[in-house]
Formats: sequence, C-alpha cells, structure tokens
Amino acid sequence: MRTQAQQRSWISIFQKYQGLVGLIVLLIGAAISVRATFFSAANFANILNQLAVPGLLAVGMTFVILTGGIDLSVGSLIGLLNCVCASWLVAGRSTPATILFVLALGTAVGATIGGLVSVTKMQPFVVTLAAMVSLRGIAYVYTDNGTVSGLGDKLDFLIAPKFGLPFNAWIMVFITMAAICVLSKTVFGRHVYAVGGNPQSARYAGIDLTKIRIGAYAINGLCVAIASLIFTARNTNGAPDAGAGFELDAITAVVVGGTSLVGGFGNIAGTFLGALFIVCLNVLLILKGVNTYVGMGWKGIVILVAVYLQSIGRSTDS
Amino acid sequence: MKNLIPFLALLVIAGCSSGGESNTANSSAGNGSTSTESKDKPLVVFSQANSQDPWRKVFDASTKAEADKHASEFTYESQDASGKSETQNNMIETFLVKNPKVMLVSPNDLSVTKAVEKAFDKGVSVILLDRDIEGEKYSYYIGGDNTEIGRQAGKFVGEKLGGKGTVLMIQGIANVTATQNRRDGFLESLNAFPGIKVVLGDDCGFQRQKARAYMESFLQKNEAIDCVYGHNDEMAIGARLAWDAAHPTGKAPMFVGVDGCQKEVVEMIKSGKMDATFQYPTPGAMGIQVAADLLKGNKPKDRRIILPTVLVDKASADKYLADNPNLAN
Repeated sequence: MRTQAQQRSWISIFQKYQGLVGLIVLLIGAAISVRATFFSAANFANILNQLAVPGLLAVGMTFVILTGGIDLSVGSLIGLLNCVCASWLVAGRSTPATILFVLALGTAVGATIGGLVSVTKMQPFVVTLAAMVSLRGIAYVYTDNGTVSGLGDKLDFLIAPKFGLPFNAWIMVFITMAAICVLSKTVFGRHVYAVGGNPQSARYAGIDLTKIRIGAYAINGLCVAIASLIFTARNTNGAPDAGAGFELDAITAVVVGGTSLVGGFGNIAGTFLGALFIVCLNVLLILKGVNTYVGMGWKGIVILVAVYLQSIGRSTDS
Repeated sequence: MKNLIPFLALLVIAGCSSGGESNTANSSAGNGSTSTESKDKPLVVFSQANSQDPWRKVFDASTKAEADKHASEFTYESQDASGKSETQNNMIETFLVKNPKVMLVSPNDLSVTKAVEKAFDKGVSVILLDRDIEGEKYSYYIGGDNTEIGRQAGKFVGEKLGGKGTVLMIQGIANVTATQNRRDGFLESLNAFPGIKVVLGDDCGFQRQKARAYMESFLQKNEAIDCVYGHNDEMAIGARLAWDAAHPTGKAPMFVGVDGCQKEVVEMIKSGKMDATFQYPTPGAMGIQVAADLLKGNKPKDRRIILPTVLVDKASADKYLADNPNLAN
C-alpha cells in the first residue's frame, strides 16, 4: 500500500513538473553536445526572441484547455491579425491606434468563438475548426491574395532590447505572470478550473458557464493579438498564410507543460516551461544540424510521452 | 499553483545566471577557443525554405554535391524550414549563434527580410538563392529569371497555337513572386498574339493533386481549351492526369510546364504527354561556388547572378537528360 501511494505521488509530482523535467533533461543534453554555442549570451537572447510568439499563444491556449475546450483557430487568427496590423500601418494609421485595434479585434474574435462554443453547445473542436478555415479565408480576401509589405520600422520597439532583454521577452514574462495571478488569485480563475474539472457541479454551484467560457476564449484571443503584434514586428509584413500550424505548437506546449486536455487540471507555469522546452528543442536541433523532418518526428514522440504520462496518472487517481 | 511561482522565478534566474556563466566561460576560454576556431574550417550554412517539391530536392542535392567537392575548404551545414517563414527566421537567428562566414538563404518569402538583414549587419556574407528579400541588405543573389521564363513560354505557346485559341493558366501560390513573374511574362509575350485568350486558373499551390482537383472541376464546364500552362511541371502533370481521366481518347490540348527538374516530365515530353517545359535552374551549386570564392577572397563580378533557362521539348529531351544527371525521379 505504501509503495503504491509513493508511486502515485511520484507520478503526480512528475506530471505537475513534466515540462521542467523535460527541460532539465534537454539542457543536460545541450550541455553535453553543444555547450559553447547553446549556453552563450547570444543564444539566450535568441531563445527568448523565439519564445515570445509560441509562449503567448500557449498561455492563451491554457485558459481554453483548462475549461475543457480547445482552439484550433489561433494560427488563422494570428495570420488575419498579422494582415490587419500590417495593412493599418501601411495605410498610415498611427501605431497606438493600430495596436489597440488589433488587441480589440483579437479579443472580440476570441469572445465570439467562446460565445459560439457555449451557446450552441457544439464541440469546441468543431467550432474552432470552422473558425480556422473561415479566418484563413478572410485573411486571403482581406489582403487580396497578396503580401502586405512596406510598414517599415514602426513596430521595431517591440523586438528591440530593453534592460538587457528583447522587449518581447519582457512582454511574455509580464503576460505569463499576469495569467498566473488571474488563474490562482481571482474568482474567475477558480471558476475556470471548476468549469473544466466538472461542468455539472460547477453549474450547480451557481457558476455561469457561458460567461467563464467566453472569458477564457477572449483571453486567448487577446494573447493571440499580442503575439500577432510581435509576429508582425519580426516579419515586417502581413502574409495571409502566416501562422499556419501555430495552434498545434501552442497545444503541444500546453500538453507538455502538464495541462490535461480534458480540462480542469494544469497551470500557466507548466505551460511556460512547456513552451520553453519546445523552443529549446528547436534551437538544439538546429544547432546540432538535425534534419527538420527528423526533428518533427522527435517532437511527435515528446507529445506522445507527455500525454501518456498524464493518462497513467488519471488511471492511478481513479 | 502558488508553489509554482518560485519555479518560474528560479528558471528566470537560472536562465540569466547560466547566460552569465557561459559569458565568463567564453571569455576565460577566449584565447583557447579563438585559436581552435582559426584552426577550424570556416562555416558555410544554408537555410532552405523547404524541401518538399521535386525542384527543391534537386536544388538540395546539387548544393550538397557541390559542397562535398569543397569539403576541405569549409564546413557545410544545411537546414530546411519546411515552408514556414517563422521557422526560417528562427533558424537564421540560431545559425548566427554559430558565427558562420557565409550564409546561403533561399527565403521562404519576404517575411524573413529582418532575419537576413540581421545576418548581413553582423558581417556575414549573405547569398540569396532563388528568392529575394525586401531591400538591399544582402551580398549576392543567384537565381533564374521567372519573367523571362514566362516570356519564352508565352512565345512558344503563341507560335505553336498559330496565334489562335484558349490557354488555361494554372497558377502557383498567389503571393509568391515566381507565380507573379511566370504569369506576367507569359501574358506579356501573348500581347503579340491577340487571337489567344487566357483563362486565369486558380491558385493550386504548385501542387499536383490540387491542380488535378481544379482541372477536374474546370473540365465540368466543357470549355474548349487548346493549351494548359502550369506555373510548374507538377501542376501541368496534375492537369494532364485530370484530362486523361476525363478524355481517355481523342486529341488533347498542349501541356506546358516550368521547372524541368524531374525525369518524369522529360519522359512525358518524349512520349508526347507533355509538349514542353522550361528549366528553372537550381542556384545551389553556383551558391556554393560563390561561397568558396568569397572565402578565398575572390568576389564575383556581378551582385546579381542570373542563370539562363533551357527549353525542353521533344527534340531536345534526350540531350537534356544527358546534360542533367541530377534530375529527380
């Protein structure tokens, strides 16, 4: 009995920190194989620069997944917002106005998707799959199949170094901290867990499921919008095909970070570590000169292992 | 939840301190590492946009083959961005950590401009292959001339059709310059043939199965066409397959493609299934030669090196096969 209990706690601890464990294993691997290049100041900045966009998407995705949902449309939404942002700046609108509009639009699209999910009671997978297709189409129509270029350095401040780190890294750290506070310190945050953990009892407890779901998807939309601004700053143009597949990277980071796809269990810190793990893995694979497609195979294996570890945990819990 | 916050903080601290440590490690080992570096061969890296289509495969193979010839002069590494600009941005920035002397980049699209500029500003010789970036922050450009290919294809089609008929143009990815240039050059040449009508087909993404599906739908309209011009061979083949499925017998229209990088296409031209293709030359081998020259201190005369195209039709197919042993299967 005691060993079983110990085993159980070992698994639950491992589940909780699997992103961290993975990261440590990876860093040890890096220390052995490419120490000089991987652990350099230049690469540290490089990793943080690459982390911002997938990290922000993963933070937003965590809210959605915690409610028991999923959002497949974030890749298309980042593409659309990328085009909107670039077009506004190219058309000569002011940078603050553009930023506010993009943030508002992203939040509104997120809230709309959340509303559809909770009002129609359709599977989030289906609703967001539809949104993924539509938003991508809108991006192509909006840009008339073309790339929007010529926005100059208007968004450069987002990726320029501030206090020793790229500004986008600060944004990501700030959003991560804020998300941790929202989830752990606010009523809304506790309700997010409750809705995902057991919607039935959450409803009996008087929680408005619709409001909570709309809130979670709206936060996700806002995170996508912030990510799209950084994305636009890095790419200095708007491309209707931008962001394809980003939803999967975000989901991967969330899952590797120990959040259950069933909802109700997980946290932002884990997601942050999950995202960091994936970016470090990408960088390591490039530094090691591993073929991209071989790297994709490895990433798939990492996801499988992460999900498998969670399913062991669930069966020992029950 | 709460007890995870320290972990996050710890990680940030660990990250900062490990960055710092390695700094000192680097500087303390500075003398040693620079001496080993000078003993080491210089590094040439190649960031490929994707390796998914046959043309890119030939491109990769010829680049690798040329790099192997120069193995004693420099270390060569290549990575492929699987068609994603963001991946390529990350890749280029990560390559910079390794301090390459020359960087070959075949940009996925204009979105990688900033990363390329960063490399150029760092003093790396940047050789763009096949596609351009915005602005002038690169060292050399090597590529084919898609507008000229479009012009030659248009002239070929116009003459073969005798100045009369309808051409269906199956288009590549809409926001890529290759598509736009292969279209515009073609239309420019056809200005000399006012009797030829061009139907602008869909964006079939340079993919065979998309072009086949598009052609299947198009044929439902029963519009008479005399020629199909695909912005690449794969799409021309896809259209041909759709045509053959719908019309097992009878006279087929002309099928003309671009790229000329597959044995399959040349065999189809020999057997009359396709009428012609225009080679879109792969720039990798030339890129490696320029890199080798740069490392020896020889700068090429021209900043933009344009590789000529070759017409492959029934008459020239056998010679083309003999001249190009590296074609994809």
